[in-house]
Amino acid sequence: MEKSSSASSLGPLGLDIAQSFFKPIQQAAPPSPTKRHTKISVIGVGNVGMAIAQTILTQGLIDELALVDVNPDKLRGEMLDLQHAAAFLPRTKILASVDYSVTAGSDLCIVTAGARQGSGESRLNLVQRNVKLFSCIIPQLAHSSPDSILIIVTNPVDVLTYVAWKLSGFPPNRVIGSGTNLDSSRFRFLIADHLDVSAQDVQAFIVGEHGDSSVALWSSISVGGVPILGFLENQQITFTKETLENIHKEVINSAYEVISLKACTSWAIGYSVASLARTILREQRRIHPVSILAKGFYGIDGDEVFLSLPVQLGRSGVLGVANVHLTDEEAQRLRDSAEIIAQVQRQLNVTNLDIS
Amino acid sequence: MHKSGSASSLGPGGLDLTQAFFKPIQQTAPPSPTKRHTKVSVVGVGNVGMAIAQTILTQDLVDELALVDVNADKLRGEMLDLQHAAAFLPRTKIHASVDYAITAGSDLCIVTAGARQIAGESRLNLLQRNVSLFSRIVPPLAKYSPDSILLIVSNPVDILTYAAWKLSGFPSNRVIGSGTNLDSSRFRFLIADHLDVNAQDVQAYIVGEHGDSSVALWSSISVGGVPVLSFLEKQQIAYEKETLENIHKAVIDGAYEVISLKGYTSWAIGYSVASLARSILRNQRRIHPVSVLAKGFYGIEGGDVFLSLPAQLGRGGILGVTNVHLTDEEAQRLRDSAKTILEVQNQLGL
Repeated sequence: MEKSSSASSLGPLGLDIAQSFFKPIQQAAPPSPTKRHTKISVIGVGNVGMAIAQTILTQGLIDELALVDVNPDKLRGEMLDLQHAAAFLPRTKILASVDYSVTAGSDLCIVTAGARQGSGESRLNLVQRNVKLFSCIIPQLAHSSPDSILIIVTNPVDVLTYVAWKLSGFPPNRVIGSGTNLDSSRFRFLIADHLDVSAQDVQAFIVGEHGDSSVALWSSISVGGVPILGFLENQQITFTKETLENIHKEVINSAYEVISLKACTSWAIGYSVASLARTILREQRRIHPVSILAKGFYGIDGDEVFLSLPVQLGRSGVLGVANVHLTDEEAQRLRDSAEIIAQVQRQLNVTNLDIS
Repeated sequence: MHKSGSASSLGPGGLDLTQAFFKPIQQTAPPSPTKRHTKVSVVGVGNVGMAIAQTILTQDLVDELALVDVNADKLRGEMLDLQHAAAFLPRTKIHASVDYAITAGSDLCIVTAGARQIAGESRLNLLQRNVSLFSRIVPPLAKYSPDSILLIVSNPVDILTYAAWKLSGFPSNRVIGSGTNLDSSRFRFLIADHLDVNAQDVQAYIVGEHGDSSVALWSSISVGGVPVLSFLEKQQIAYEKETLENIHKAVIDGAYEVISLKGYTSWAIGYSVASLARSILRNQRRIHPVSVLAKGFYGIEGGDVFLSLPAQLGRGGILGVTNVHLTDEEAQRLRDSAKTILEVQNQLGL
């Protein structure tokens, strides 16, 4: 008998209706081991974590949801707020605790917890603080769910996905950063809105660092199968490189715009990560631009950097990187992006991360 | 050509792809008037309004969503945050404005806007401020969507639903308060959790005021068709009235507990109102405990009062109130609840 422990008036001390409410049939046996009991844990119940958790719940993706944070009051409040919707949702077990044992047996662990940049704080310093936080979070997750897939959302996501990989000891196909999945959605939205088409018909990847050095793959953008650049040439519509870069800049800026207007972003990243969760848990084998171990691709050698590439995802995590053709310039920008990330990574206290 | 207005680098001033991207076929005619273009407007983009909007969007209930608030920045931020999910959602037109013209042609208008209680402020004073706010919100909504259904969420919901009814001039079947739909869900959750059953198999209504004088209809609670009270009698499980009241209290306290822990409630009310929206827009003819014009039911007289009763909802709004049997005591409590609401309502001079 599971108890949400929010009602003491129903139960042995109060009104106990449970006795003999249901009678078992004869010769019943214990349940067969069920192949499908899908569990997701979300670490961090701020705006991002809760938008992700709630979207996943609404989409009926899981049987069990565990929430973890350091603030037990906020945690309990969020758990109750979800549980109270029981009449409107498929039955889902929803748990919350500051103790990581509540995450045991997860198929997917989504990490959104992270320090925010203090005023005047250097990016490197912020990273160091989040590395410290991760050294507390990741080993416990890995220990409680050794077969799970980790999705890292906390920023700077590329470096922190690398950190999570090192701290977990997981193979790299099971450690994924949300990366540029959302940037690409924003990119596709802009193009779709302009053309008045469904964003799902727009194929467009932003790859590389989830940040200022991201790379828009103009050479492979297509709408309903029509490659955009080829279309522009055929129609003899002139454009300058600057125009394309302005569009890309607009994508990057739109995140900052939302933050300046409503103080955070939540809904879009919620849908973005829920989309990744669906592809992974339901073995959809779809291609998403997400942050993965990019060493060996497009001339990215040297450091073990994580950055976003178009990746096929399924139940075992990263199935492979799509062999998208990059122009020489795009490949160079990608390598530049990798170098920027590597520079930050090298300054981290890497020896602390080596748990092998 | 829709423009979200957030991109200037794509379009006539920047890169214009639209020319010749699509070519029409020959002998095309303009589109037939489409019978289904579902539009919902949400007034108030705080935690409640946005949880409602986002859940409705995720559940693919609408073709068009309009957001209205007084804070233009917050409004634009929320709109963009939803639009940016375009790759993960069915194509939905999402727009936002401080100007109510944007709500024109809505099928459903959901009002969540409301002042919060200032420390030391009397409930009546808060109420008067909210009625004043509604006199700025409801008339424009009614003007721009004269055929719509109004769904009121702002608290105190029963009185504000009455105010919305008066201010809109709409017939009573088209003005509904979210009422005790969520309280009943909390009630069903508690019972379901205790019995380890699905909450959807628990039939249980809390009716009356969405507040301290709400009434738990114990006499009609059933699980999988088994009426709970007679089950207790048959099993000779003794219980006291106080025990039942404690359970009811736990439901009422559930809301306060969430507020004290996380500062407000959002997700549950989001699902609750999305559920009402679905029943209405998709003509599901389901029964929900919502705040309706209750005059004439169960001996409720003395004035036009809105409070929650189990009501059948469909595309025409309130189709009718279910003829649930109430014990004498439950009916009396309901009338007391109505009286409580009327006493406050009469002081407003609406």
